[in-house]
Amino acid sequence: MRYKRKLVNLLVAATALTAALSACGSTSGNGNSANGGAPNDASPSVSAGSSSEAPSSSAPSGEKATISFIHWRGEDAKAFDAIIGKFERENPNITVETQVFPSDQYQSTAQAKLADGSVGDVFASFPGAQFASIAKAGLYADLSGAAFLSNFLPSLIEAGQQDGKQLAVPYQLVYNIPIYNADIFAKYGLEPPKDWDGFLAAAEKLKSEGLVPIAFPGADIGPGQFMNPMVMNNAPDPDIFAKLEAGETKLTDEWWVKTLSQFKELSDKGYFQKDALGTKDQGAGALFAQGKAAILATGSYQLAQNKKNNPELNQKLLAPITVSEDQAVYEGIHTTTFMLGVNAKSKHPEEAKKFIEFLSRKDIAGEYANATGQNVTVKDVEYTSDELKTVAEWTDKKTRFQPRFTITNAEIQKAVTSSIQAVLGGKSPEQAAREAQAIVDQQIGK
Amino acid sequence: MKPGKRLILFFLPGTVLYLALFVYPTLTGLYYSITDWDGLSPSYRYVGADNYARLAEDIVFRKSFANNLKFMLAVVLVQTAVSLALALQLTKKNKRTVALRALFFVPTVLSSVSVGFIWTFIYDPSLGALNGLLEKLGLGALTQNWLGDMNLAIFSVAAVQAWAHIGQMIVLYVAGLQAIPPELLEAARLDGGTRGQVFRKVTWPLLAPAAAIVVSYTTIQSFKAFDLVFTMTGGGPAYSTEILSTFIYGAAFTNGTFGFASAASVVFLALISLITYLQFRLLRADRVSY
Repeated sequence: MRYKRKLVNLLVAATALTAALSACGSTSGNGNSANGGAPNDASPSVSAGSSSEAPSSSAPSGEKATISFIHWRGEDAKAFDAIIGKFERENPNITVETQVFPSDQYQSTAQAKLADGSVGDVFASFPGAQFASIAKAGLYADLSGAAFLSNFLPSLIEAGQQDGKQLAVPYQLVYNIPIYNADIFAKYGLEPPKDWDGFLAAAEKLKSEGLVPIAFPGADIGPGQFMNPMVMNNAPDPDIFAKLEAGETKLTDEWWVKTLSQFKELSDKGYFQKDALGTKDQGAGALFAQGKAAILATGSYQLAQNKKNNPELNQKLLAPITVSEDQAVYEGIHTTTFMLGVNAKSKHPEEAKKFIEFLSRKDIAGEYANATGQNVTVKDVEYTSDELKTVAEWTDKKTRFQPRFTITNAEIQKAVTSSIQAVLGGKSPEQAAREAQAIVDQQIGK
Repeated sequence: MKPGKRLILFFLPGTVLYLALFVYPTLTGLYYSITDWDGLSPSYRYVGADNYARLAEDIVFRKSFANNLKFMLAVVLVQTAVSLALALQLTKKNKRTVALRALFFVPTVLSSVSVGFIWTFIYDPSLGALNGLLEKLGLGALTQNWLGDMNLAIFSVAAVQAWAHIGQMIVLYVAGLQAIPPELLEAARLDGGTRGQVFRKVTWPLLAPAAAIVVSYTTIQSFKAFDLVFTMTGGGPAYSTEILSTFIYGAAFTNGTFGFASAASVVFLALISLITYLQFRLLRADRVSY
């Protein structure tokens, strides 16, 4: 009896424990099947995207083809439906099926599905770590030489290039710099500051008027967004994070410790809202939309949502200049994202390229931009809303590609943003930098 | 076919499902743990024990493990004690106790992602209901930055985990309590036992099997509490709520180191096995039969 009971106990425990492990194992299993069993082949890795790897079995003329388009922007679904309708009318032999995965699942679900070519003939991807891993897996078809590339502003599609090949075309243009309430600034006679002292003085004035100078979503997107303009002039070298990953510079060096010290200064002087580390995106956005905060430390992608929350808002963009005016190299930060690529394993690569070509036409890109409130990388687009026009003005300014997205190792990216949270949580800039550098060293094998 | 052999057929569907959905993925995980597969590439290399060696030195893995222990201890203590206290009050069968049991069970049927989002709003330091309530009650001094304080965040999430699962544990305890023969309790009382003595000498030892299930289930649950942490804090601020499951997710899907993540899963399994085994040993010592 005792042994039976022991056996039952053991079985119960084993079942529960196996269940605990199988969560990861089953995902591995998915990956396996997604690769059509290929992982059994322990041969050296294939090279990054090349059109020669793509099956050339495009649908013959007159034959119907269905292409799959996957992305993460559920909020753009209506705009895309209308555009896809036009595309299908123009190309009656091509049907576009769209699947939207939430951005937090996009890394896991969508990325794995791309591997067998069953979905995502056309797919969107993020620049930086995700672009690097998809390129490494050889899942981008080479778009180099495609005629539609000339529809884009050349400098804005560089993020989709690797080893001289155009693997993806960024479609959206975002400025990752804070939004400010222009009416509040005007009311207190403030202008966008041109140096660090001016930024602190403006923040002090706003605080003395009973406002929250900067609404900072420290619990989620804030550190990853605000770090970009904060570091852009402290480390003007556009390759600074590539050098960090190569072990040629450290987070304990002056450029990052200074950036962390400036974050600490803003926090210690009470220029962020109380308990900023517990505030999420929506909370900070609400403070700004309600007029309780003068600056929102996110980016231009938030303009449309803010306007929806408060149609009276008069919003503009500014970037904190963390050095003296004469030392400032950059005026702001831009990101080109929502990078459209053609799956190297697509059975309909020509139809997929035709769809991207359609999206790159200035009238279609304009329709998308004006319907979604997002600026685009396509040339000569006419924007209709004040917010989009405000953002478009920034294309003439000297901006730099988002430094955070130049970090290709996601763990290093997290170590960098976590060091900001650590400082706001009370650690000294030096200690936070040391701890983050220890993770970097581990990741790069130093 | 003999009836005995026919009975074996009844085990077949479950066994097949178990093998296909649990055993096979588990073994696959073990296999990938000795490779450098990135989760996407069609090929990979065998790296032997490299992933395990890396894991032993990984700073974030160690932090995650320490956080997971804190989280587990908080959840096991609170969930076990509170559910036992409530179960003792809800053992009698009448309309009131049945209604209360159902009420306590409601959070269990909610999706953990919904629970995470609801509590994130409740915990919001400026707009959240919890700080608002404390202010209204004149307890403003107790308001906290529940998810933003690096020392407090893990316990704030643990409290939600306990809140969400207490109802489930009440059911297990109530079943255990109702299985205790009333004559044993009555005899103990007639012998002059106080309430405390009756609980300590009769109820608790007979409840040990249920307690063992509650504790081991709660332990495994708290190690697997991915959804709540992911939705409420994402492991932050500054890794203060990073636990093993979020670490494994990040390694696999964000950083594209699937082989390394599989090795972490294997270690994760070994740790849960060890802790569960120790708990069984500990609780079996209290077990008696009359």
